[in-house]
Amino acid sequence: MKPQYAMIVDSSKCIDCKACLAACKQVNNLPQDHWRNWIKHSETDPQSTKAHLMHFQPGGCMHCNTPTCVEACPTRATYKDESDGTVKIDYGLCIGCGSCIPACPYGARYRNPVTRKVDKCDFCDFWRNNFGLEPACVSTCPTKARIFGDIHDPKSRAYQVLRENSDRVIRISNPQTETKPNMFYLKNTAPKDWPQPARSPDPIKAMLCCLTPGLQGIFGLSILGVLAMWGKQIFTRSEEKQEDGES
Amino acid sequence: MNNKILRHNTSDIILHWFNALCWFLLLITGLGLLGNHRINPLGKWFPAMMESLCGGAECLLTVHEIIGLIWIGGFLLYFLLNFQSALGFLREIFTIHPRRDLTWMLKKPLQLTLGNKTMRRLGLNTQLPPQGFYNMGQKAFAQPAVILGVIIAITGIIMFLSDKVLTAEYTTLVVWSIGIHYVAVGLVTAGLIIHIFMAAINIEERPAFYSMFSGYVPVEHVRQHNPLWYEEIAQEEQDQSSTLNTQDAKLGMQAPTTGDRI
Repeated sequence: MKPQYAMIVDSSKCIDCKACLAACKQVNNLPQDHWRNWIKHSETDPQSTKAHLMHFQPGGCMHCNTPTCVEACPTRATYKDESDGTVKIDYGLCIGCGSCIPACPYGARYRNPVTRKVDKCDFCDFWRNNFGLEPACVSTCPTKARIFGDIHDPKSRAYQVLRENSDRVIRISNPQTETKPNMFYLKNTAPKDWPQPARSPDPIKAMLCCLTPGLQGIFGLSILGVLAMWGKQIFTRSEEKQEDGES
Repeated sequence: MNNKILRHNTSDIILHWFNALCWFLLLITGLGLLGNHRINPLGKWFPAMMESLCGGAECLLTVHEIIGLIWIGGFLLYFLLNFQSALGFLREIFTIHPRRDLTWMLKKPLQLTLGNKTMRRLGLNTQLPPQGFYNMGQKAFAQPAVILGVIIAITGIIMFLSDKVLTAEYTTLVVWSIGIHYVAVGLVTAGLIIHIFMAAINIEERPAFYSMFSGYVPVEHVRQHNPLWYEEIAQEEQDQSSTLNTQDAKLGMQAPTTGDRI
């Protein structure tokens, strides 16, 4: 079975120390004001007199199985890499048009103001492939809230943790846009209702829904016209020769 | 009058084939770049083939951008060097005489598909209104090709600049450029299919096709296909020779014999 890298998050362990954000930013040399990952938190009611706890929830690109960002990219500059199951960006091909950014229900993408291309978490692709390191956010986490690995490999810890907790593991997704994310949370996590429905820019939507079949139809008519003229030319060549005298 | 008339001068012939080569290369690399198979009119196989031919999609993008810039540069250069000639061309293709040209435009496709015999059987007159330097069919392709060509160049430059100078606020402009570039190229390509057929395959237009290499068309072809242009040349020639004849008497010069236009 082909590998599928994924992250399993026990958000109840997260103490909102933001070490994962800092480590990611440093390792991946991210520009000012932009982050590849985040820590969300549950809402608390300040009016309530009951004792309440705030729940912290780390996240990042979920490397979905049916990624809507990939659908929104005209050139496949962003694509699902079948060799490891991650969603990648080909920086040589990406021109930073930004179509994929609103197409991500999780807001995991941003346009890097330095490279002017779209950027997001790649599970520390470079460090993982060249040095066998875990993603920086995983290795730096003091409470080990994040577990990373190949969930198709029975020997990996991620696989085992996912199996052991199969009854209490959930995916966070928007009911309108089910992308089958490869970021798994334990059931008690919060908040859960924050993902947005995927939105592709209007021109991309139009290309997907009607412009492409429309153009195919126009090409078809054009070719049909050519075939009609060509057919007439082939079948009536002798007639035309006779007619030449008349006209 | 000679039996051949100059229809295209050397710079026009060069521009035409330069444009054709650029269009061919830009079209195949551009279609190769549409790796999202749901928006590729040819489907999945074409980008896959182009990627393996070029050695990756990144290379396709680079080649597409370079040829695109050369294409734009070539046209700008032509404009600088042949401004008058370019204006003449634009005037010619955008001048329409509705009654004459529309009748021609309705009848010619019938003639080309049904043939004169069938048209007569249907009770249609097979006589076509006379046409000038370009017939309405050529104008109907040239007009959108010019307008959409400019749009393709502008949207192309916007996309080219996207990851070089444009900031995040301009991504809406870039995304719209992608959509417009795509549709504009698609429409011109649909016309191009007809254009290539008419030029390279249609027997009737064979002399016009050869003129895109030699520059010359037989007088007889012009008389039949471009009677209004023929009249113009004949008129000009008459005027010239009448004035020249008087000069001839003094200088002993020969009258030029070609109708050099555009």
